[in-house]
Amino acid sequence: MRNMEYLLKNGYVVDPANKIDCERKDIAVKDGKIVESVDESRAKVIDVKDMLVMPGGVDLHSHIAGSKVNVGRLFRPEDHYKDYEVRSGVRRSGVGHSVPSIFTTGYRYAILGYTTVFEPATPPLKTLHTHDELNDIPILDKACFPLFGNNWFVMEYIRDGKLEECAAYIAWLMRSIKGYAIKVVDPGGVETWKWGGTVQDFDQEVPRFGITPREIVRGLVKVNKLLGLPHPIHVHANQLGMPGNYKTTLRTMDAVKDLATGDRPILHLTHVQFNAYGGVDYLSISSHADDIADYVNKNPHVTMDIGQVIFGDTTTMTADGPFEYKLFNLLRGKWANADVEVETGAGVVPITYSRSNYVHAVMWCIGLELALLIKDPWRVFITTDHPNGGPFTEYPRVFSWLMSKKARERVLKRLPRLARARTNLKDIDREYTFYELAISTRAATAKILGLSNKGHLGVGADADIAVFNINPKEVNPSVDYKLVRQAFSRAYLTMKDGEIVVKDGEIVAAPVGRTYWVNTKAPKDVEDVVISEVKKLFEEYYTVRFENYYIPESYLACSAPIQPLEPAG
Amino acid sequence: MKVINAVVCPCCGNLCDDNEVQVEDNKIVKVRTECAISSSKFLNYYKERNTKPLVRVDGQLKPTTLEDAIERVARMLVEAEYPLLYGWSLTSCEAQKKGVELAEEVGGVIDNTTTVCHGPSILGVQDLGDPTCTLGEVRARADLIIYWGCNPSSAHVRHMKRYSSLSKGRFRLPEQRKVVVVDVRKTPTARNANVFVQVKPNQDYELMTALKMLLQNEEIEEQEVAGVPIEQIEELAELMRGCEFGVLFYGLGLTMSEGREKNIDAALTLVRELNKWTKFAIMPMRGHYNVTGANQVLTWQTGYPYAVDFSRGYPRFEPGDTTAVDVLSRGYNDATLVVASDPVANFPKDAVKHLCSEPLAVIDPHISLTAFMADVVIPSAFIGIEEEGTAYRMDGVPLILKKVVEPPEGILSDVQILDLILKRVRELKRGR
Amino acid sequence: MSDMAELKLKIKAPPPTPIEGEVLTPDNLAGRSVNEILNLETWRGNRRVKLSELFTAEGESASNPSDLHIILEGDLRKVRHIGARMSAGKITINGPVGTFVGFEMSGGTIVVNGDADAFLGMGMSGGVIEVNGNAGDAVGSGYWGTRCGMRGGLIVVKGNVGAELGCWMKDGTIRVGGNADVFAGVRMQGGTIFVAGDAGAKLGAAMTNGKIVVLGNVPNILPSFHIDEIRPNTKVDGDKIQGPFYVFYGDITEGGNGKLFISVGKNPHLKYREAYIL
Repeated sequence: MRNMEYLLKNGYVVDPANKIDCERKDIAVKDGKIVESVDESRAKVIDVKDMLVMPGGVDLHSHIAGSKVNVGRLFRPEDHYKDYEVRSGVRRSGVGHSVPSIFTTGYRYAILGYTTVFEPATPPLKTLHTHDELNDIPILDKACFPLFGNNWFVMEYIRDGKLEECAAYIAWLMRSIKGYAIKVVDPGGVETWKWGGTVQDFDQEVPRFGITPREIVRGLVKVNKLLGLPHPIHVHANQLGMPGNYKTTLRTMDAVKDLATGDRPILHLTHVQFNAYGGVDYLSISSHADDIADYVNKNPHVTMDIGQVIFGDTTTMTADGPFEYKLFNLLRGKWANADVEVETGAGVVPITYSRSNYVHAVMWCIGLELALLIKDPWRVFITTDHPNGGPFTEYPRVFSWLMSKKARERVLKRLPRLARARTNLKDIDREYTFYELAISTRAATAKILGLSNKGHLGVGADADIAVFNINPKEVNPSVDYKLVRQAFSRAYLTMKDGEIVVKDGEIVAAPVGRTYWVNTKAPKDVEDVVISEVKKLFEEYYTVRFENYYIPESYLACSAPIQPLEPAG
Repeated sequence: MKVINAVVCPCCGNLCDDNEVQVEDNKIVKVRTECAISSSKFLNYYKERNTKPLVRVDGQLKPTTLEDAIERVARMLVEAEYPLLYGWSLTSCEAQKKGVELAEEVGGVIDNTTTVCHGPSILGVQDLGDPTCTLGEVRARADLIIYWGCNPSSAHVRHMKRYSSLSKGRFRLPEQRKVVVVDVRKTPTARNANVFVQVKPNQDYELMTALKMLLQNEEIEEQEVAGVPIEQIEELAELMRGCEFGVLFYGLGLTMSEGREKNIDAALTLVRELNKWTKFAIMPMRGHYNVTGANQVLTWQTGYPYAVDFSRGYPRFEPGDTTAVDVLSRGYNDATLVVASDPVANFPKDAVKHLCSEPLAVIDPHISLTAFMADVVIPSAFIGIEEEGTAYRMDGVPLILKKVVEPPEGILSDVQILDLILKRVRELKRGR
Repeated sequence: MSDMAELKLKIKAPPPTPIEGEVLTPDNLAGRSVNEILNLETWRGNRRVKLSELFTAEGESASNPSDLHIILEGDLRKVRHIGARMSAGKITINGPVGTFVGFEMSGGTIVVNGDADAFLGMGMSGGVIEVNGNAGDAVGSGYWGTRCGMRGGLIVVKGNVGAELGCWMKDGTIRVGGNADVFAGVRMQGGTIFVAGDAGAKLGAAMTNGKIVVLGNVPNILPSFHIDEIRPNTKVDGDKIQGPFYVFYGDITEGGNGKLFISVGKNPHLKYREAYIL
């Protein structure tokens, strides 16, 4: 199938990486890649007249695979039993809704026109599980981010000023477990939680480790530079979900400002909606998205994704165990916690976001405010932190809110008056264009991940293409936001590596996707010393053998290693 | 002679991965391990194994070709209206995935040994959640270890030395830990505990309720609960409240006594409550070495951890109706494939009666009691000895089990056998 | 009810494998002719079969569900989910019947003249189920993980019921003529349970609200219930029930306001609790 030649004719192409904005352009595909042209007599011609043609979506933050996701699935049979998919043709059966089964996850993303999705948090000790699940996801290209922000080795190396050793440790670990980027969740906070406490302040010392969250974040930015990883460190800031936490978010961004060199961002903050709160308690919670947007607009070293809330039932899941415990105490429903030795933790708590709930209403406004107030779409990305804010199947709804003030107002008017008053959304007129949407969901995310063959339709790109049945020249998204939502909910065509996988919203093929990982390296002499140190401590710290921690490349169904960028210095 | 280190043992839920195996001429000649069960498995696994595919002819099991056996199993499954595919806990995740694929293909029910073991634990978790951790966390920090309704000294031999009370952790030495055993009788584990609480059979729930009352400083209108004097319950409550990091390990004493999943509900609620005062976790002592894997694989592939019914073309979960014992007791199924398990040896009488009255196929290295009653038997290789595979430890940590020797000529792995069955099933269905 | 159309479906033989009975509701069958009904398909195991293959039919259909009375006859022990999501009309089942009768029903009436199996009335929000026989475990419970059982309606079982009666029940009423096994009223959040016979251990465990009345023997009352008083009688849905009753409140470990009314006469072993009445 990948050897076929295709010509997508007469579509309106939106390819921001190549500065193409709704131009009528043909796209030629051969051997799984975008090419300059194909022989029209030989190629299969697909007429996508007047339809919107974009690169396949690239989602950099979605909890789709691994131990905590499976905890979510396991303890929520009620999430599944009314949302099921019957086996049909090449499509295996499965279930939704907020924690879909693995095959359904791949199919539903492809139907939305997404072709690359990254799992943003995996505990190294259980990453074999993450890969086990990623292997089973049909169609999509994927990767996973190992967690480092509460790792004993990392914290001690940074505390002792041993950054080169820390880099060597992370290099060894990243390539051993086939990870892609440095993920940091509640730095220092999860280790504190393992004794039942929480980190209250960005400069508070982690008990028994003598290091602060600030130092962890700074240390890892430096390590990232040493290793030349393609993606900046990916940070879930401290105090997530707490009223007044916007201050910590600002401090986190500012803490590494001096480390920025050149024009590459060095810090990606994730699902910032959950970290943009003012107020002193939930009664007074308010939006400070404007302060955060202001900072981002003035400081190019930061990127972020929004973590938009969707009203309805969903499941929160994160390595931020202490936060989930707090949420459990608010909701008093089900609560799962899973601390992982040496490394990190996890928590899972179901939630129903409700329009009439003041706090939820404020949260809903904040996500959109961030996307609308941050001026550069190359630095703010659309996510729901699936499934924390809501299921990824609701992305089209988020698109319609961003592209239409009218769509937002329809929701706003049903929110509590006080929520409207304590947020900025009602006063924002900006509406996303198709071009900006494509940047935020494809071009920019591929770029920040360092995936040079994704997120664009230039010659040489992987032929990951999404076609939507909507005419960007005729439809005014500001008015016809319902058409926008419908069109993006069911791709007219999704192509993956030059193979048609979705036709008119139906799965027609389910090829195996790639698992990307970075083949990180550090100077050999440093690595040798570090690995021998780690080996000595390994048996004391871990309950598995050093030899069994390593994941062979053959374990990945389709391994796609990436070389690091030129490391600095 | 070859020495293989860091070998993962395919016996119990401890999934110890620090064994050393010495192999000579494709035979295990020596094992360095701290567990008699492990050593016995590695040294004796091949004894009394079945090496030939068998089919029942005139009431007797007679050798046949692999092709014939596969054909019969495939036909059995395709012709069945409601086949049951049961077992799965003593094989690799790779084989379990094939099981899911096969169950979906033939529109049957797939269930694993969770159903007679820790099914109640999962049901409890589905209502309450699960405050837990990995075993290394216990070793690093725990100063209070409670074994409730389980006997690790016999069933999980190295548990205490490797993970809990007798282990040395970064922040905790063995002498800094306390062990409490709650059981209906003084088990070997109880004899070595700091505190033994003898609970009346089927009254664990009452005892946990009393503990919760005392933790909440509520008065109990009794002198004793579940056969335990109030003073002793008070002492236990204070031990639990006053520790720095406590963990509650539990087993079939809770899951299979009166109340079942409600007992686990109570245990989960108790541990949730304790997190108000201190750090506390709970963990089920999973028996078979890869029953956790069976739950994990089934959950991510179908959404449900066991008792999955594919008869309508999509996964459905109704434990108590789609669980193996219930399917058998109600006489729902008209064919059964048992993989790596022995239900005839441990299922209730009615269930076994029905199991043996319908076409039955078994994939197993041994002639188990179930194989003895089967119509078709296919021998398979031992995972973790003759075949590589993934397994999940009781705390969800995944490990790759090694292949240290070759299986005998003609003996395939579960994955290979299931692949052949799948292939033939698909051919038959196309022809139908 | 006499002007309801009666459609009698007699099962031809006890099926070898489970039959999906979801299709057998007035909602699904009304507005179709008898022939059309017999042509409808359902599941027998993993096979699609026509109703005509499973049942013989007698009588007539109706255009509105509320005017349709379906009468099912025979050994229906392997027929599951009869009356699922029913909202109107009547089903009478003459014979033993399988699991999940009345699953998530919201209205109408189901009468079982025989024994019912487990999960009777699971997820029910309205309507009436009457069983002239015994029922199995988890009557009036809810789907796994929902933490919500029966939300409304009335279940009456003349005989005995199994364990976990009314598990997570939120509202509605369950009346049991015989005995209830262990954990009756476990996790109850509201509504009323009445047991004319004996109840098993751990009655009302973890309840947060609701009322349980037991006329017979109860082996123990959990330590998480405190005795409130002795009352001469009580009411169940307006009907006066003669006592006297020990009244317990709890479950205290859940901060509960549930109430247990336990017959004084049938429970002399609980007399020692009287000392704790303030």
